[in-house]
Amino acid sequence: MTTATAPAALSGRTSDHPATATWRLVRMVLRRDRVKLPAWLLGLTVFVFYFNTALPIIAPTEADLAAFSQFSAGPVGAVLSGPGYGFDAGLSYEQFFVGTYALYFLLAAALMNILLVSRHTRVEEQAGRAELVRAGVVGRNAPLTATLVVASAADVVLALLLGAATASFGYAMDGALLFGAGVGAAGLVFAAVTAVTVQITEYSRAASGLAGTVLGIAYLIRAAGDSLTEHGSLLSWFSPLAWSQQTRPFVDGRWWPLLLSLGLAAVTTAGAFALAGRRDLGAGLRAARRGPAGAAPWLRSPSTLALRLQRAGLLGWTGALVVLGVTYGALVGPMTDTFAELSGQFAAVLGAEGDVLNGYLSFMAVYDVIIVGAFAILAVHRVRGEETSGRAEPVLATATGRVRWLGTHLLIVCAAAATILVATGLAFGVGAAVSTGEVGQVAELTASHAVRIPEVLVFAAVGVLLYGIAPRALPLVWLVFTYAAILALFGQLLQLPQWMHDLSPLDHIGRMPLEDAGIVPVVTLCGIAVAAAAAGLAAFRRRDLTGA
Amino acid sequence: MTTRDAIEVTGLVKTYGSTRALDGLDLSVAAGEVHGFLGPNGAGKTTTIRILLGLLRADAGQATVLGRDPWSEAVSLHRRLAYVPGDVELWPNLTGGETIDVLGRLHGGVDRARVDQLCQRFDLDPTKKGRTYSKGNRQKVALITALASNAELLLLDEPTAGLDPLKEAVFQECIREVRDAGRTVLLSSHILAQVEILADRISIIRLGGIVESGTLSDMRHLTRTTVTVETDRPSDGLVGLAGIHGVRRVDGQIRFEVDGEHVDPIMRELAALGIRSIVAHPPTLEQLLLRHYGDDLRGDRAEVTS
Repeated sequence: MTTATAPAALSGRTSDHPATATWRLVRMVLRRDRVKLPAWLLGLTVFVFYFNTALPIIAPTEADLAAFSQFSAGPVGAVLSGPGYGFDAGLSYEQFFVGTYALYFLLAAALMNILLVSRHTRVEEQAGRAELVRAGVVGRNAPLTATLVVASAADVVLALLLGAATASFGYAMDGALLFGAGVGAAGLVFAAVTAVTVQITEYSRAASGLAGTVLGIAYLIRAAGDSLTEHGSLLSWFSPLAWSQQTRPFVDGRWWPLLLSLGLAAVTTAGAFALAGRRDLGAGLRAARRGPAGAAPWLRSPSTLALRLQRAGLLGWTGALVVLGVTYGALVGPMTDTFAELSGQFAAVLGAEGDVLNGYLSFMAVYDVIIVGAFAILAVHRVRGEETSGRAEPVLATATGRVRWLGTHLLIVCAAAATILVATGLAFGVGAAVSTGEVGQVAELTASHAVRIPEVLVFAAVGVLLYGIAPRALPLVWLVFTYAAILALFGQLLQLPQWMHDLSPLDHIGRMPLEDAGIVPVVTLCGIAVAAAAAGLAAFRRRDLTGA
Repeated sequence: MTTRDAIEVTGLVKTYGSTRALDGLDLSVAAGEVHGFLGPNGAGKTTTIRILLGLLRADAGQATVLGRDPWSEAVSLHRRLAYVPGDVELWPNLTGGETIDVLGRLHGGVDRARVDQLCQRFDLDPTKKGRTYSKGNRQKVALITALASNAELLLLDEPTAGLDPLKEAVFQECIREVRDAGRTVLLSSHILAQVEILADRISIIRLGGIVESGTLSDMRHLTRTTVTVETDRPSDGLVGLAGIHGVRRVDGQIRFEVDGEHVDPIMRELAALGIRSIVAHPPTLEQLLLRHYGDDLRGDRAEVTS
């Protein structure tokens, strides 16, 4: 008997268990995410402090709060926030906080889990690093198990952090914990969903995109269900996001909806392991398809190449937003019936003389422009990706000048964003026309979206300006975007000075059909976009290309 | 070989922060030659080629490619040259064939028959999507694009990394055809054998500057011939002769290196000892490079000698 075999047997290293080395991989995942994960968890916790500190400043008395409640209880509130529990009478700060902002914590937690799971599973496989790991004494299921262990632990920590932060404002402990647990449960569901999507496709982008699509559908179903009737409808219950919101923290808190979340997470995780056992390392469940041996005849210029590269994104976003538009449009009819009695209060909040219908319709154009603005910025990020990945280099080594290369890419981004925005307006208009019986809605709502094209152009052009100066500067455009989006969505609640609104590209064009769009802001924003784009192109002409 | 230079570079400087990637680099490539651009990783080969393409702007110095300024006349220049990067990235959702066509058309046109023929010679399946290609196959896509063009000048940055030996032979064949057609090639590499086989002239770059430039035979006199010999009589007397280095005894044979200009006297000395067998081989590019970068290695050999 040698001394060497005894410790090996004790530690179980000789077994061929598929989860062998899970704990070692857990430590590696934590080591690699030692900045990212705490940043997510603490970042989300900071927002609890921010909202709960800001609320009493903006609304010093409960009467002020009650004025806001009308905003969060109507159809706009249903789309933006949720089922609106506690907004009926005697609204408290904690009820307002959870009722209005909880949804954003759910979305952020879902995003955190999607990125985390994708980062440590499919991204690793695609990059070939998983091959190195799996060649060691590591079980087949260990990487996925370790990732899910870390994700679950992160969700538990997040739940506790959010609960403790909320309770620190003197709110009821059980409600605070219930709120935190709801966020954690939503995170867990999307960790499990991503564990499935990373098995399906070979490509990490497609895998996280698929999980993101599930999140988008969950949001859409919840928003539609909550808009139909106050406190949500049966439709809402088909969305995992709704389960967390239906716990009603600080109203009549109930824990049992979270059992649905845990159940779905468990079943989905089991499915992920089953799928993982049926595929090879690095492979997806769907085999890669072949394509044409030569390029289509039209694919012969920098602009057509740019269009070809953006095509998948363009089709995906158009499809998603057309579905969104038709759905929200179709809600207009039933919604106006349900919320008809609230119209007077709405008018006060939305600053409109008209009815609740026009308030909602005007708001949706701004909402859609924010989504399309995000598309435009992401599309500019794709252009940057061409350079940083090294794919721009061979193109620029042909008879394609730099200004032409970036300029045609920008034109394609702008044309795509404008197309998506108009298509969304058209779909929204068709949905609204069908549900209300007013044919005029089609033209009016298409126009209400079309006049906002210059806002999207400004986002794209500012992106190109930053990118032209330095590829690393491009993410700064998200600051402009976030600032403008927050002011556009919550501006009325925040009561900020006028100059802060003037700085936002989204606060100049009038909101149709409530207001006139105004020719001056449309022309001015177009001018700003052209100037920023020209400056960006000039800067790009002068700098070094960054290599792969 | 014509007298006009395809590439003329003098005093090129490029700095990144405190690092000097290029430090007064001079390079001249004559029209119609295959010019080997040899150096270890990080010596500045890729930076030089990127400046020649106008992708980077030099901080100082002059670069002229086909008589034009690569920064300000990039587009008209690029019509006349083709480029293969060392690290080929393809669009993940375009097939190899689509990529060859698109890049070719952006260049000014594609000769389909030539592309098909090259795909066959390199054994590339053009119907697969970019993301499914291995490193070697991505490299083939870029090579076929460049070789199918009618460019006067080919800038190849370590073009055969990832190719198997058979495809490497195809590549050498293609480069000879390119040279026979009177076109110019700048072939950057750290694979010495490849440059040795193909290049008419060689420039060796080290730490951002050219340390040696000329034909392979120009350079051979700079270095040593390696001799392995078995003699009838003891050869102890060889140690200490002028121009002889690193004498070692291996299995009854003696092996040493001789400076180019001392080969003749040493051979006379050996003949007197009665040669049973002799193998002599010319300096390889490894040895050329070792003379420039391998001071440590030479030190080691000196110890073995004593």
